[in-house]
Amino acid sequence: MATESSESEEEGKIRGGNDKLIIEEDLREMSKNAAWSVSSCKPGNGVTTLRDDNLETYWQSDGLQPHLINIQFQKKVKLQLVVLYVDFKLDESYTPSKISIRAGDGFHNLKEIKSVELVKPTGWVCLSLSGTDPRETFVNTFMLQIAILSNHLNGRDTHIRQIKVYGPRPNPIPRQPFQFTSMEFLTYSTLR
Amino acid sequence: MENLLANCVEKNLSQFMFTNAIFFCERLLAEFPSEVNLQLLARCYLSNSQAYSAYYILKGSKTPQSRYLFAFSCFKLDLFGEAEAALLPSEDYVDEVPGGAAGHYLLGLVYRYAGRKNSSIEQFRMALSFDPLCWEAYRELCSLGAAEEASTVFGNNAFQRLQETFVTQRINFSEGANIDQLTDFDKASRDTSLWRTEHVPGENQQDLKIRQLGADIPPDTDRQLNTNGWDLNTPSPVISQVLDAPPPLLHKNMLRSAVEGSLMSVHGGRRIKFSEEMSAEATEGSGRRRSARIAAKKKIPMSQSYGKDSYRLHLSPSESNCVPSLSSMVEKCRIQSSKEATTSGQSISDIGSSVDDEENKNPSESSPDSSSLISGISEVLNLLKILGNGHRHLLMYNCQEALLVYQKLSLKQYNTHWVLSQVGKAYFELQDYFNADSTFTLAHQKYPYALEGMDTYSTVLYHLKEEMRLGYLAQELISVDRLSPESWCAVGNCYSLRKDHDSALKMLQRAIQLNERFTYAHTLCGHEFAALEDFEGAERCYRRALSIDTRHYNAWYGLGMTYLHLEKFEFAEHQFQLALKINPRSSVIMCYYGIALHESKKNDEALNMMEMAKLTDTKNPLPKYYKANILASLGDYHKAQKVLEELKECAPQESSVHALLGNIYKQLKLYDKAVLHFGTALDLNPSPSDAVKIKAYMERLVIPDELATDENL
Repeated sequence: MATESSESEEEGKIRGGNDKLIIEEDLREMSKNAAWSVSSCKPGNGVTTLRDDNLETYWQSDGLQPHLINIQFQKKVKLQLVVLYVDFKLDESYTPSKISIRAGDGFHNLKEIKSVELVKPTGWVCLSLSGTDPRETFVNTFMLQIAILSNHLNGRDTHIRQIKVYGPRPNPIPRQPFQFTSMEFLTYSTLR
Repeated sequence: MENLLANCVEKNLSQFMFTNAIFFCERLLAEFPSEVNLQLLARCYLSNSQAYSAYYILKGSKTPQSRYLFAFSCFKLDLFGEAEAALLPSEDYVDEVPGGAAGHYLLGLVYRYAGRKNSSIEQFRMALSFDPLCWEAYRELCSLGAAEEASTVFGNNAFQRLQETFVTQRINFSEGANIDQLTDFDKASRDTSLWRTEHVPGENQQDLKIRQLGADIPPDTDRQLNTNGWDLNTPSPVISQVLDAPPPLLHKNMLRSAVEGSLMSVHGGRRIKFSEEMSAEATEGSGRRRSARIAAKKKIPMSQSYGKDSYRLHLSPSESNCVPSLSSMVEKCRIQSSKEATTSGQSISDIGSSVDDEENKNPSESSPDSSSLISGISEVLNLLKILGNGHRHLLMYNCQEALLVYQKLSLKQYNTHWVLSQVGKAYFELQDYFNADSTFTLAHQKYPYALEGMDTYSTVLYHLKEEMRLGYLAQELISVDRLSPESWCAVGNCYSLRKDHDSALKMLQRAIQLNERFTYAHTLCGHEFAALEDFEGAERCYRRALSIDTRHYNAWYGLGMTYLHLEKFEFAEHQFQLALKINPRSSVIMCYYGIALHESKKNDEALNMMEMAKLTDTKNPLPKYYKANILASLGDYHKAQKVLEELKECAPQESSVHALLGNIYKQLKLYDKAVLHFGTALDLNPSPSDAVKIKAYMERLVIPDELATDENL
């Protein structure tokens, strides 16, 4: 059962989280073509745990705040959604609280695009990267950095169990400016 | 004792008690080691899917029958070199290919798997010349693109050949009859019931049948038991009626061909009508068999009898499902007496009445009637001509002709699974998915156990975006047979429709595991990799598909699309060209070829290609769209606008048309119209990224002079 996640926009606070991860059909996961790195980690709880689809394993940082997760792509990609799995019940003081998401071309020109505070999250937390402007549904960037600024109960290190990054589906037909929407066009657009 | 044991083994084989048969055969061989008994044991092993055992015991045998059996076992074990060596001991003596038509067919397959196309074509042609009823050889030729006109193949030469065959049978028969009376070996209980409609799947029934025949020619023996071949993969019990008539001593040989036929994973058999000659032969066969057992081998024209026997008019699902069957083995169709010939795919006996009943007449008559023989042969050949023609057209992708040809069939023949799935496939290739859907639905409803062509059906449903029906179909197919690649292809398509490409890939890989040579599964895998943007994986899959079947144009198309994505336009052009060569009527391929040409800056050719595509398939709106796109990118906005305005009339609900029009009007500085069209485009539910783009365009319209950056047209 999915528990509702409420978000109060003015303060950027997110409470709770979903047990099940439900993503819209027109999004797809982008992280396969990315290079993931973290600012620090405890041996045995490294960056691979963030991508292993296993909610039992977690990444544990081992240094000073802010803890950073860097996701670098080979070319500019459109990103729409970042999803984290964190659980206050299991991780308590290791649960991240203030998170800042930054984007840019590289380490030298990252700019914050989203800042959010989690309040006792218990599951999948979706962080949308869209701005208010309809033109800003996606963030077009080479690199994404998720910074954990602080944890619950003022913990030093943090646990994150899984991260997924989503962007729009590309046009299945190469070299075309727009995607087809009507059945007729779609029927004739591909062979299988 | 020897004969008792032999009888017992034969009986067991015919009743599918394979382990019992093996046990007794081992005793037999131990007591009376002989070539004949060795072959019998090999047969037992092959029936029990123990090709490796048969391989070992037959290694080194020199007699033709043994060589054929050995080659068959090698084939099953994927030891193609040894199979070839066994079938062709020395290059010069091609005539010595044991097994006649069946041997040639097997050799053809070996060559085909090894990629030696020309040799394989030669072998298949020889198989057909030996036995015009070797339909599988014709199918292979069609799929290799080297088939001749059906009317030639199944024409006068075939007629004469078949006549000769049966006349010889007849003669032998009379000889045999005498011997029958003399010998009285048949201690095995004669189950005439067994003789008759035996609703058992199994190949070596004839064996037993013959034995059972005994000396007198039982009148009712000529019930024609038609065996329908079934797809190896279908576990559902095949209702096959074994037909008798394996003639001579080479009854074993016949069996070989039968075995081969059955194990060759084909399914669907065709019942051919035949006159009593057949039954006559059967009896004669048994007689001979017995005499063979006793004494010398009668040198009977083996090849002829071979040919006759080995018709397995079946459809192989994918060119070679050599998946060893579990218990249900494939059937081969045996000619029997009169009744109807129904097309394969029917396990139901006798759907439809026989066209010619006179032949079926007197079971009691032993002497064949030459005129009925002739009429029988000509009917069969006529049927084969139609089917062969249709099949050939389909595989050359002349789908309209194929459809017309198939319409000529009688209603009963038409409504058989094989024909229906061919018709469905023809509609599918024409991109007429609605008709394809209805045809396949009918086929599936009538024959839920027949899986051939169901992979195409699932693709049709995929194109029509019928998620629920596709899911239902996939579940049904899996419940019918979990070990058939078609079922897993359907499941894969189902996941793919839901955009769950990872799972789809897993399912399709299962299909591949079940049958490495199922070309379509490889192609579908390639499509899934492409959807996941793993273009290297996609390329690998497509190439594997092409290594199995070079004429699988979907794989060429897939490769072309992959290269388009990777922006290797020259390569893409090449692939599309090849695809077009194989299927010159596909407007979709033409469109993509045009796109590739455009990207390689060969714009005139590109535009011509679009024109061709438009003419080829008037129902396809895309050539116009692509043409407009090309014109717009060349700067010819007026023409592009004209084309799109036309297109707008035909397809008013398509967002991309409006979006493109909007861009064109912007270039033509008709900003009002541009805004109008952008607005319409947005209303028509474009994809989110497109929506963003279109909104961005709209914004920039307000400030036309401050030229926007990249957003290209």
